[in-house]
Amino acid sequence: MSAIATPPTLDRPVTDAPVLRLRGHAADPPSPVALREKHLGVWQDITWEEYWDQAELVGHALLSLGIEVGDRVAVQGENRFEWVTTDFGTQAIRAACMGLYPTNPSAEVGYMLADAGARVLVAEDQEQVDKVLELDRGDLPDLEVVVYLEERGVRDYDDDRLLSWVDFLERGRAHREAHPRAVDERLADIADDDLAVLIYTSGTTGPPKGAMITVANINFAIATAGSADGFFQPPIGPGDWLLSYLPLCHVYERLLTSWLGAGLGATVHFAESIDTVTRDLAEVQPTIFATVPRILEKMHAGVSVRMASASRLKRANWAVWSGVATRIGAAKVANNGNHTPATRALEAAGEVFLFRALKERLGLQHARAAVSGAAPIAPELLEFFMGIGVPVSEAYGQTENCALATSNPLDDIRLGTVGRPVPGIELKLDEDNNEILVRHPAVFAGYWNRPDATAETIDADGWLHSGDVGEWEGQHLRIVDRIKDIIITAGGKNISPSEIENSLKTSPFIKEAIVIGDRRKFISALIGIDGDIVGNWAQARKITYTTYRDLTERPEVVDLVAGEVATTNAKFARVEEVKQFRLLPKELDEDDGEVTATQKVKRTAIERIFAALIDDMYSGGRRPAHGGAGTDAGSDADDGSDAGSGA
Amino acid sequence: MARPRMIGDHGQAMALVRTPTKAFWLTALLLVAFSAPIWMSNGLLFLLIAGLAYVVGAIGLNLVTGFAGQLSLGHAFFLAVGAYTATFISSESTGTTVGLGIPEILVWLPAAGIVAGLAGLLVGPIATRLKGLYLAIVTLGLVFVGDHVLREWSSLTGGVGFGRAAPDPTLLGIDLARTGPILGIEVARSALLYWFSLVVAIVLTILALNLVRSRIGRAFQAVRDRDVAAEVMGIDLTRTKLIAFTVSSAYAGLAGAMFAMRLETIEATQFNLLLSFLFIAMILVGGISSIPGAIVGALLIATLPSMAGPISDVVTPIFDVLAFWRGDAGFPLDTFQLEQLLYGSLLITFVLLEPRGLMGLWLRIRNYWRAFPFSY
Repeated sequence: MSAIATPPTLDRPVTDAPVLRLRGHAADPPSPVALREKHLGVWQDITWEEYWDQAELVGHALLSLGIEVGDRVAVQGENRFEWVTTDFGTQAIRAACMGLYPTNPSAEVGYMLADAGARVLVAEDQEQVDKVLELDRGDLPDLEVVVYLEERGVRDYDDDRLLSWVDFLERGRAHREAHPRAVDERLADIADDDLAVLIYTSGTTGPPKGAMITVANINFAIATAGSADGFFQPPIGPGDWLLSYLPLCHVYERLLTSWLGAGLGATVHFAESIDTVTRDLAEVQPTIFATVPRILEKMHAGVSVRMASASRLKRANWAVWSGVATRIGAAKVANNGNHTPATRALEAAGEVFLFRALKERLGLQHARAAVSGAAPIAPELLEFFMGIGVPVSEAYGQTENCALATSNPLDDIRLGTVGRPVPGIELKLDEDNNEILVRHPAVFAGYWNRPDATAETIDADGWLHSGDVGEWEGQHLRIVDRIKDIIITAGGKNISPSEIENSLKTSPFIKEAIVIGDRRKFISALIGIDGDIVGNWAQARKITYTTYRDLTERPEVVDLVAGEVATTNAKFARVEEVKQFRLLPKELDEDDGEVTATQKVKRTAIERIFAALIDDMYSGGRRPAHGGAGTDAGSDADDGSDAGSGA
Repeated sequence: MARPRMIGDHGQAMALVRTPTKAFWLTALLLVAFSAPIWMSNGLLFLLIAGLAYVVGAIGLNLVTGFAGQLSLGHAFFLAVGAYTATFISSESTGTTVGLGIPEILVWLPAAGIVAGLAGLLVGPIATRLKGLYLAIVTLGLVFVGDHVLREWSSLTGGVGFGRAAPDPTLLGIDLARTGPILGIEVARSALLYWFSLVVAIVLTILALNLVRSRIGRAFQAVRDRDVAAEVMGIDLTRTKLIAFTVSSAYAGLAGAMFAMRLETIEATQFNLLLSFLFIAMILVGGISSIPGAIVGALLIATLPSMAGPISDVVTPIFDVLAFWRGDAGFPLDTFQLEQLLYGSLLITFVLLEPRGLMGLWLRIRNYWRAFPFSY
């Protein structure tokens, strides 16, 4: 580690840029281990010195490739050591790093690389390399080098742009020998308005847009989210363990892993893959758990399914203590997330019989705070986790404001809201349409090459228009829905589909729900079942099936979902009831353009692809293979007009 | 903050004592074991010394039968080799028997292991060519051959019905068999012998644990599970089976010597087929292919005679009532008969209900709590 031997002669405060923070940590490690990565079942420690050493090597390698200030370097792969060192290494030479989702199909990769004009791409393996190589070279005039991390399958490829990671680092080493001060010279000139990262929005409508995040943006985000009254109390710091498993190219994971994690000295663990999150969680037991509703839904569903097949005694134990958890949860919710003496006593007893073991199995035993973001979540889920003693709440933010808008302070959690504006920022609702407006130094510099879109998003006074409709509940903000998603029924009633969808998705059997009803006479839903869980359910009842599609056509399964829909309907006003539903015949897939890389449903695409199903619901048709009971989700179709006019 | 599921290096993954809880219970167990002479009765302690010899023998049998999957009925033969090597070295020549007269235990105990191991190495080549039932028959033959040789070789054994003096346990000049207070504390008889046996058993246990989690131990298990597959993976079958037989026989030899040293005299007919079966019973009841299982099984079988007495007190009156049986079937049972009955019923019960033995029972209980609050 010759890099560490050179004394930090760079005369800049470490808080000037995220990459300077990492450099500072290498000189004065805040904790023994910066990162952990799992290889062949064993967690390998990576120190702060090794972290910075490789980032600096990447910087040198990029310099040797002639990367200039402001150039774009792309990286596509799962979360891993090389991902974050590419990110920091790029920033170390004042170039900008952009991440691509490992699930992005070839065409989208091509679009984003061309749009950003990336000169270097770091691709994880053959799968990602193929996506680029199959594109026409002429469409990517700027792309000069494709660095691949895994050699398997790529070694014999014949393309002059390819460079292996080992050779890439070797170039860096040679460059460092020749110009040991080259990276520091670039670092010395880092400016606040340097483009640090380019984050492509997932694009539920239209093609993805690159949000330009500057050094100053990130610095403000670290300072604010990491302040004493920021996201977590006390804030993230050395001694905290994080699990990095959400895509790093999304602002949420980048904030946690690179900005708060690396910036504030916490230890970050890379999950093996998104599929092994449950196991990795149980091993790592993070102190801060940042997650998305889908993961919490999966955890909750997993608990119900495994409890259902547990032994008699364990089920009895579960029946007693999950009841207690519900009571604790309800009491805590009523008390803004705080303990009352009664819940404290109940929780202490519950810890012995259930909660401690359950949290250990889930990997939340040491979690001092859990936060759910990126999508709305059903309050029932939060109540459950609160009941077993995991302080979980929602936060709200966007790529365009570095995920910095609102969060629930641990001692003032209001369910169903995304919390209070983070101290130090400005947030208000538009007087006309209640759109949420945000203004602070972490609001992005604009969309890459899209001044038109930038002008639509940031107004003359510097307010960022979020596109979300909100309403105040005291000091807490509640998100109603995306402006463009709000359903106006034929009766003229405004309905927020996401609330109904999330309620549906609390059922372990339901994985996707798309509520439809804009300018229609009643509300309906397309429902995607969870193949594994419904499959287990069917097997336990000796219902035979072959494929996913076959499963969705079993009358018993349709009845099962009808029951779940009825449960949801009971929670809503009559006009908001789902009167008809159909089961999606396939699982939604990014490659088919039905969901984005972050698994967000593309509504317009869905409505186009499954138009036949939707028309069937509104043409008074009954559910297939299920005669009379076909409408048990609600009343008859004509009833809908009643409800609509009643609004 | 403890994160027991997180494995940071291979050493941690393979560690014998992985959690503080395990360390705590192990320490407690060792404390109880080492303090036994202070609170235990003489008779029970004497049984336990035999139990410790059984532990070593059972571990040896479990290595070859449980781990390497080679069914051996010849364990008694190797025990005999060890016992007579020890006796031959330690006792003086008399008019009827020969001996070297070296009472030092550090000489004759390892020698017993080495000679028995060599015997295993000689038998090994036959064993490597045979499988399953055929191997069992061959090793069975070994017991009969051994039995015959011992009956006839009276200059070594002292002759059937007479026997010869057991080896003299002298450790660095201290007679381990002496009695009386030790360092002013009144402890049970043969306390020194017990402590020495305990240390030997612990050392051999650790050696066996290390062996089974090494490359060789994994080779044993690969051969057991499918010899053809193991060979395809590059495991040398002959070499692996030879190692298994040699190590197992060496353990049996050490056990034989330890078993003999607690006795006044040893007799040639002790090392018969019944003894082989007793060891099979130990690993079956304790747990096939588990070192702790072998230990538990050996201790249980060793202490069974002390339980047979009280059980006989309960059972005999019941049989007394059934007077018409008594005359022709020879009731009431004496404790020896009852012991045999208990061995038999224990074996049948375990094979039928819990083929993985006491260890299997324990694993079941442990997994129940490990999976808590779920079932898997």
